[in-house]
Amino acid sequence: MVSEALNFVLQLLIFPGFLFIICLAFFSEWVLRKFVARIQNRMGPTYTGYGGVLQPFADFIKLLGKEDIIPAFAEKSFFTLTPLLCLALPLTAIFVLPIADHQALISFEGDLIFLAFTFTMLTIMVFLGGFLSGSIFSMVGGVRAATQLLGYEIPFLLVLFGPAIPASSLSISKISMWQAQNNAWGLWTQPIGFGVLVICLLAELELLPFDIPEAETEIVAGWNVEFTGRRLALVRLGRDVELVLASAILVDLYLGGPQQVWIIPPIVIFLVKMFACLLLIGYLKTLFARFRIDQVLSGMWKYVIPAAMIQFIILKLIW
Amino acid sequence: MSGSTIKIIIGPQHPALKEPERFILETEGEYVVDVKVRIGYIHRGIEKAMENRTYLQGLYLSERVCGICSDAHTTCYVQGVEELLGIEPPPRSRFIRVIVAELERIHSHLLWLGIAAHEIGFDTLFMYVWRDREVVMDLLELVSGNRVNYAINTIGGVRRDLNNGRIQKMLKGLKILEDRTKEYLKMIGREQTVLKRTVNIGNLSKSDAIKYGAVGPTARASGVKRDVRVDDPYAAYDEISFNVIVEDGCDCLARIMVRGREVLESIHIIREALKKMPDGEIRVRVKPRIPPAEALSRVEAPRGELLYYIKSNGTDKPERCKIRTPTLANIPSLCKMLVGGYIADVPIVLAGIDPCFACMDRVLIIDKEKRKAEVWTLDMLRRYGREWYQKR
Repeated sequence: MVSEALNFVLQLLIFPGFLFIICLAFFSEWVLRKFVARIQNRMGPTYTGYGGVLQPFADFIKLLGKEDIIPAFAEKSFFTLTPLLCLALPLTAIFVLPIADHQALISFEGDLIFLAFTFTMLTIMVFLGGFLSGSIFSMVGGVRAATQLLGYEIPFLLVLFGPAIPASSLSISKISMWQAQNNAWGLWTQPIGFGVLVICLLAELELLPFDIPEAETEIVAGWNVEFTGRRLALVRLGRDVELVLASAILVDLYLGGPQQVWIIPPIVIFLVKMFACLLLIGYLKTLFARFRIDQVLSGMWKYVIPAAMIQFIILKLIW
Repeated sequence: MSGSTIKIIIGPQHPALKEPERFILETEGEYVVDVKVRIGYIHRGIEKAMENRTYLQGLYLSERVCGICSDAHTTCYVQGVEELLGIEPPPRSRFIRVIVAELERIHSHLLWLGIAAHEIGFDTLFMYVWRDREVVMDLLELVSGNRVNYAINTIGGVRRDLNNGRIQKMLKGLKILEDRTKEYLKMIGREQTVLKRTVNIGNLSKSDAIKYGAVGPTARASGVKRDVRVDDPYAAYDEISFNVIVEDGCDCLARIMVRGREVLESIHIIREALKKMPDGEIRVRVKPRIPPAEALSRVEAPRGELLYYIKSNGTDKPERCKIRTPTLANIPSLCKMLVGGYIADVPIVLAGIDPCFACMDRVLIIDKEKRKAEVWTLDMLRRYGREWYQKR
């Protein structure tokens, strides 16, 4: 009994819990930065560690030591809450995703709904944090984040619940297990859904061509323009965790999750798939120019939502 | 949302602006309804400083008016001084001036293309264009010995000659540039995200371009065939045949296309100039003292018409030197372009005129009540500053 509890605590704190996820988040940021840099004919980080691998961690430490400023016009409670929730929400959401084993650390029937909730919650926090931090730029950024939500939320939810239909379960662990056992990856059975999910995740993560809420050349840094020091460090770490979360969702819902192949442990398979998704996201990020907010909304409603609906209808017809 | 406007202040410090300048945008939602511009953040008193220096020292100063079109400024300045002296530079030097001016145009336009891509969030294009811009920077170093302030012009000719080895290297570099520029133009014409952000954005109709006195590529993208190289040929432009690039799109895409195609045309001009270049001297010696006279000199800088007015008084220093840079001429058109657009489009529209604020800033005191405007000299500014601080 005691050893079981100890085991669980260790899992939660070290592997595949907080420590592992945070290290993975830093590492994925480095992978993304290096990959994007190589595509763009640049070097990327080089100084700290082998090939600059410690750069995201160094940035984090540096930001922790910087001055922490609260603007006079900011709503203090939300200004403090936003960075914390920006990190806490994706970290919590990752526990319901199976990573090291076919069973997630915390798994219950309906955790898919919890996942959807955290994603919407994140955007609402971004909106509130931006709106209440007392700068025009962050206000415009926050409003843009909320406006963008209107565009991608519906297709995102539709394709998030798509894989649940064939597996007839709302538990992510069961969905990924079903896909692995039947060899019916979501990528093959519902390719449109996969494409829509990638697009929506790009919008959710505020990556090009949807980095409108923090468009550097238009509104400086958008909703996070006023965050400094510790708060900015948390926001940025939260972004990295979100990156891991997004790739993990793609893996678990559409690529069969962590399966055991021959003697290779499931975590290795999971990481291989996860980084493949990460590189896909990074590749898409470099290909485009930034859309305008109205173009995103009309594009989403004209093309992406119908595509997600068609996928849903096809699914219902087959299963 | 009617009646409630939000003021969004762009600048003096803003990532979309590489130099400090202030734009106050009245916005309704995401629309811009009015623009106010405040210039003058980096006034450096160059015109006044020129009056305290000899003509040759003034040459170095004029080179530093602008970091990007430094050659256009010196060409314009030496042409003015040569006109005052009543001398003609040797033919070979005039061709070398054309070559350096066109290399500079390529460098400036490629730089701008990168910035424009960055403004619409297309960083990959930005990185690629700037990588290829290194080729033309190397060519400029090959010709003049410097990458940025070339210092190729001198009063009465140019400072360095071209030999055969350099010409061969230059032709090789031009080939690379031509291929890459064609590639980019093809890509921009097809890439949907770029088209979405540039077509029908920042419109400036042909009649407005004429009315607000637009110059350079900004005017040519609105279908106005205005180019000093053809209208009032200087250096050796009258001996070289080339086309004036005009686009009828009137939007940001047209501005991109005009500059891209001008790069190709510049490559053509350089090749032609290298072919037709006569042998002979590259400079004539001149006297330091210049008889009293007035001269007005114009060149087509990469951003448009650049104008120098120089007045001499018989000493070795000019009495007055007035500079009108192309960015100043394009500001009224810019305000016209911004109104009615989205906030998201402000950076690309701003970048569309290829602004160079450091060149244009000067202190112009406008007395609203008395309805008069006067340019302050450095001394008046100093006095004003002292008095202002004493009052506090």
